Amino acid sequence: MAQRAMWLISHEPGTPLCGVVKFSRRYPTVEKRAKVFNGASYVPVPEDGPFLKALLFELRLLDDEKDFLESRDSCSHINKTSIYGLRVGSEELWPVVAFLKNGMIYACVPLVEQTLSPRPPLISISGISQGFELLFGVQGFLSSGQKTDSELNTKLSQLSDLLLQTCPFGTLLDANLHNSLDSINFASVTHLQKQPAWRTGTYKGKPQVSISITEKVNSMQYDKQEIADTWQVVGVVTCKCDLEGSMPNVTISLSLPTNGSPLQDILVHPCVTSLDSAILTSSSIDAVDDSAFSGPYKFPLTPPLESFTLCYYTSQVPVPPILGFYQVKEEEVQLKITVNLKLHESVKNSFEFCEAHIPFYNRGPITHVEYKASFGQLEVFREKSLLVWIIGQKFPKSMEISLSGTVTFGAKNHEKQSFDQICIGGTAYLKLHFRILDYTLTGCYVDQHSVQVFASGKPKISTHRKLISSDYYIWNSKAPAPVTYGSLLL
Amino acid sequence: MGPFSRETWAQRLGTFRASPSAFMAGPEGEDLGRDLLSDLRSEKLSEPMKVALLALSLEYPAQLWPDAPAAEAAATSLLDTLVLLPPRPSALRRPLLLAATTALVAGGALSPASGASGRLLPLLLGLASGRDLGRSFGPASEQRPLQATAWECLRELESCRPGLLGGCLGLLRALLGREGPAQPLSLLLALALRNALVIQARAGAGLQGLLTAGDSSMEGGPWNWTLAEEGEVHLQPQAPSWPAAEEGECGLAALELSPEEARELRATVAQLLDSSYLLTPVAQAQLLWLLGWALRGLRGQPPVLFKPQLVRLLGTAQLTLLHAMLALKAAFGEALFTAQDEALLLRRLTLAAQHPALPLPIHLFYLHCLLNFPENWPLGPTDEEAAPLLLGSQLCRGLLPSLLHEPMALLARLHLLCLLCVEDEEKEEKGQDRSPRHYLEELLAGLRQRAALDGGPRALATLCFQASYLVAHCLAGQPVVLTPLTQGLAQLYRTRPALAPHFVDLLDQVGPELQEPLRVALRQEVVSRPGREEALRWHLQMLARVADGDAQSATLSFLRAAATHCTDWGLQQALLRVCRALLRAGVGGGLADLLQALARQLEDPDGQDHARLYYILLAHLAGPKLGVALGPSLAAPALASSLVAENQGFAAALMVLEPVYSLELRFRVEGQVYAPLGAVHVPCLCPGRPTRPLLLPLQPRRPAPARLTVRALYTTPSGLTCHTHLPPLLVTFADLFLPFPRPPEGAQLDFFEELWGSCLPKGTESRLWCPLGPGGLEALVSHHLEPFVVVAQPPVSYLIAIRLPPDSRLLLRLEAAQSDGVPVALRTDNWAVLPLAGDYLRGLSADG
Repeated sequence: MAQRAMWLISHEPGTPLCGVVKFSRRYPTVEKRAKVFNGASYVPVPEDGPFLKALLFELRLLDDEKDFLESRDSCSHINKTSIYGLRVGSEELWPVVAFLKNGMIYACVPLVEQTLSPRPPLISISGISQGFELLFGVQGFLSSGQKTDSELNTKLSQLSDLLLQTCPFGTLLDANLHNSLDSINFASVTHLQKQPAWRTGTYKGKPQVSISITEKVNSMQYDKQEIADTWQVVGVVTCKCDLEGSMPNVTISLSLPTNGSPLQDILVHPCVTSLDSAILTSSSIDAVDDSAFSGPYKFPLTPPLESFTLCYYTSQVPVPPILGFYQVKEEEVQLKITVNLKLHESVKNSFEFCEAHIPFYNRGPITHVEYKASFGQLEVFREKSLLVWIIGQKFPKSMEISLSGTVTFGAKNHEKQSFDQICIGGTAYLKLHFRILDYTLTGCYVDQHSVQVFASGKPKISTHRKLISSDYYIWNSKAPAPVTYGSLLL
Repeated sequence: MGPFSRETWAQRLGTFRASPSAFMAGPEGEDLGRDLLSDLRSEKLSEPMKVALLALSLEYPAQLWPDAPAAEAAATSLLDTLVLLPPRPSALRRPLLLAATTALVAGGALSPASGASGRLLPLLLGLASGRDLGRSFGPASEQRPLQATAWECLRELESCRPGLLGGCLGLLRALLGREGPAQPLSLLLALALRNALVIQARAGAGLQGLLTAGDSSMEGGPWNWTLAEEGEVHLQPQAPSWPAAEEGECGLAALELSPEEARELRATVAQLLDSSYLLTPVAQAQLLWLLGWALRGLRGQPPVLFKPQLVRLLGTAQLTLLHAMLALKAAFGEALFTAQDEALLLRRLTLAAQHPALPLPIHLFYLHCLLNFPENWPLGPTDEEAAPLLLGSQLCRGLLPSLLHEPMALLARLHLLCLLCVEDEEKEEKGQDRSPRHYLEELLAGLRQRAALDGGPRALATLCFQASYLVAHCLAGQPVVLTPLTQGLAQLYRTRPALAPHFVDLLDQVGPELQEPLRVALRQEVVSRPGREEALRWHLQMLARVADGDAQSATLSFLRAAATHCTDWGLQQALLRVCRALLRAGVGGGLADLLQALARQLEDPDGQDHARLYYILLAHLAGPKLGVALGPSLAAPALASSLVAENQGFAAALMVLEPVYSLELRFRVEGQVYAPLGAVHVPCLCPGRPTRPLLLPLQPRRPAPARLTVRALYTTPSGLTCHTHLPPLLVTFADLFLPFPRPPEGAQLDFFEELWGSCLPKGTESRLWCPLGPGGLEALVSHHLEPFVVVAQPPVSYLIAIRLPPDSRLLLRLEAAQSDGVPVALRTDNWAVLPLAGDYLRGLSADG
């Protein structure tokens, strides 16, 4: 369950080492156990320098990929998880949990409580999931609110102290580092027996509960006979419960209108005390039928003090909110494009914004555009080889808009123009970006009267909803496009 | 040395962290541990700097205090520092507790005999249990963090020394029921309980009231080390890996619990599980791993205790919790998870492995869990990755790969798709063109299309070949998959020959099912080329791997055409490597013509030499010998440098065949006892023919044995000139012996007596005893001295005269032999020869 060491490494391509160790922490008592458990197969945790080099090589983050290197590029060198073996000197350090997120590499080495030869399956090593939680916890702490380098450095400097509390001996006590930060700040709060370890301290003040539902809709549209379009809604419900008492009980219910789309694949926060089996079993793996459970979805819980994600869900709505097609024809030196978009009548026609981004990859900069748009304006980003069709706040009455035009490109400059591995040949897409406030595609909502709070005082309850597009692609129907297995089966 | 300034310490810590080993090897290394301990009490250093010093000691105790006595002293000093802190708030108390604990454990000093252990343990227990320890332990505001730290120190001590808290089980349990904080208590109790169970099971004892006993340590008595002493031999895994646990069964089956003990145990476990909701998710998971494997195999402890927790845990998205569920599943199987439960767990795992709200590393780990799912009734071997029986293609639909996935996700999902294709083959649906196999083919085609992009990143090519390897590995028995794969790869080569290194690697890694057809297809691709493209070096590299005895004429005509374009050294070498591959494959006639042509045509002398060498080898050696001569063996790992490979081949050849192209031997006599020797040239050593003996014209300056160092210069088959040392050549004393001219018949005795007389007075005379071997005197003379005998009167006497170049003589009179030896009278005109002659004669019997 314990970790032998952890590192934070900033990935800095173009510098001699391609990275810098920003933070590292070793756990010698765990290392001592590793030596006993691993026996002859024990490999000590290396110093930061050699570790950095070995990790970047294994993650393919060094700049030198010009030549074929068997130890890196061999076809049998296959990694299917974020868990690696690092060659350090003549030995191999394993398992190393590592991933890159926003330019930072998070890495740790979990203790394996047995010999490493032969390697035990990852699933049987408890330290793997604990290591992931530690790294995600640190990542959550670093990325919350952090924008500038100096903010990041402040957080990095707090990390040593935080780990002294939350992971003093390599065994993680709480993946939520904010809890520990709070408990440093409110050290005088007395700890009560019945208080959860994840609810440090108590709230004093006006009781209030805030619940917001954010739905993201993704889609892949092909406009082809043999390939079915796909789309899916992913919902996130976040809550902040400012309630007095050491263990206030709250029940939050999500409801659907009569024509709403059932929620599926529901994952709840661990503070939820019990779960209806209908919630547990409703899943997108099964074909949806009329008998599907359609709520209300009740979640009894004791809330943590800070804002938390009550649940995630997915849903299969009957139609995509915007249906479109995109056609690209290559005519000598220029591309002829046609776009058509139609907002479904059931969708609220009031956007915070709505844009169609039309990128052109593996080509030179745009030199000339001629176009005709039935609605909205077109912005041209020549160097980025990008067109942005700004549709605005509302679709016209017809609910249908179109854009057609020709685009001419200059000579390709390999350094400036980004390479794309998908948009090869005629393969191309446009991507929709939109946001609609006070609306969900599934219809999911929180009825303020259904929120039950068992605590002193009547809390003020506020609810929010919004729909956001995410990975909403419309592919050029005149060329091959990447498909998923699901879109072939239907 | 006095206390260091803040700046000095900051600099020292920085240097140390950059490379601890370099720092410790430097001049300041030895003092660091001592300085650190003393400066913790310095009034000049700020508290944050002291915290930084303690942080260092938490990470590197083994470097600071490398042995047990040093660790004991350090822990004592840290505890003293703690006691001496003034009773105001301080950030040092917690790190001091952690540092003392770390020093004792890491230094191996934790023991009943250790004074620091004797101080630390009751202090920690007192702090943890909330007993008032007096004002010295800081203001009330620090009590809670100190308490939490103390619990963690105790847990770490119990982890590293199982049984240490065995005597406190009763106390821990009582605290859990009363005021104590749930999380640290639960975790420590579960750990100590599990350790106690294992230790007692090994000792064949029961729990002996440990769960209900009061605690002597709390009442000021000495620490109870009984269980820890018994448990010392074995460190206990807190969460054993599954196969290891299978073998050992945790050894709990032997534990005999009285009904009352079993009841107490059950009540304790139920109490722990009931309050588990109060723990953070990661701590809940730790508790479940610990309890699950603690109770496994223990009689009278049904796993049903865990059941109430399952639904709550199944609903969460927490990686640690789902992982702990899988551990419970592996531990108890059907006893805890019915077939329906198993199906539900599998479905939750499947959806978690693709849930859009979870990050990629989690998806990948869940996918791994799916393919290693601990089934109630597994069909296949458990150590292989396989899709669980209940995971049908319907369930897998969302888990299949697409070109939009990240490389790792794509490979993981591709593996699953391959497993589905294996199943699919057994029930291939006719007329359905969207079978998993067709999808697989389209996906691979897409990957190849991306890999074919000129100037695309190498990672894309690598991914394509990894996918091809994975498919060939999983679906080796399905020609219906391998045939289009082979064709697709051949086409990829046609489009982007620069991927030749990847192809060579793939051919080296895959099994024969793909290797053979792919090799043939690639050879076909190469030899059908005009042989004058930019990609010639790739074609030649490819051909060196795929060429064999088939399609000779096409291959040779390709090479002939290519030869005219091989203008630089690298290309010529690549061309010759193909020739070498053909030689090894036993290609004859046409190749000889080509090699002859190359020997004339290539501009580079190195290339010419090679071509000539290969031609000679081809002309003179039979197939198998050629194979050896042209090593390296196929079993040897591929070497990056062609030069190394060439040299290895040569070494093998030298040992087997002595085929050296041109050789020069150079000698040097140590001590200058002989005149200098000129170099000896051997223009050509022909394989298979007997070599003439090599005569060295030695010219001794003194009659003495010598050692000749020998160096050889030779050209290798690759045309390089190499230099090597050969074993030294020894010239013994006996090697110098020359006979005198034979005197006329009848005058031998006079001749000898004249020589004998002439030695003195300039020379010397000696008598010695020469031992005889089993053959007696006659045998000794005939073996060693025959050419030098002047007068022989066997068995009574032999008169022997030896000339020693440049101008000395040695005369021997061997007289009547006795049973074990013969007396020898010896004269020489050169004093220096005497000891050599003595050694020589005494050594004769040993040689027989």
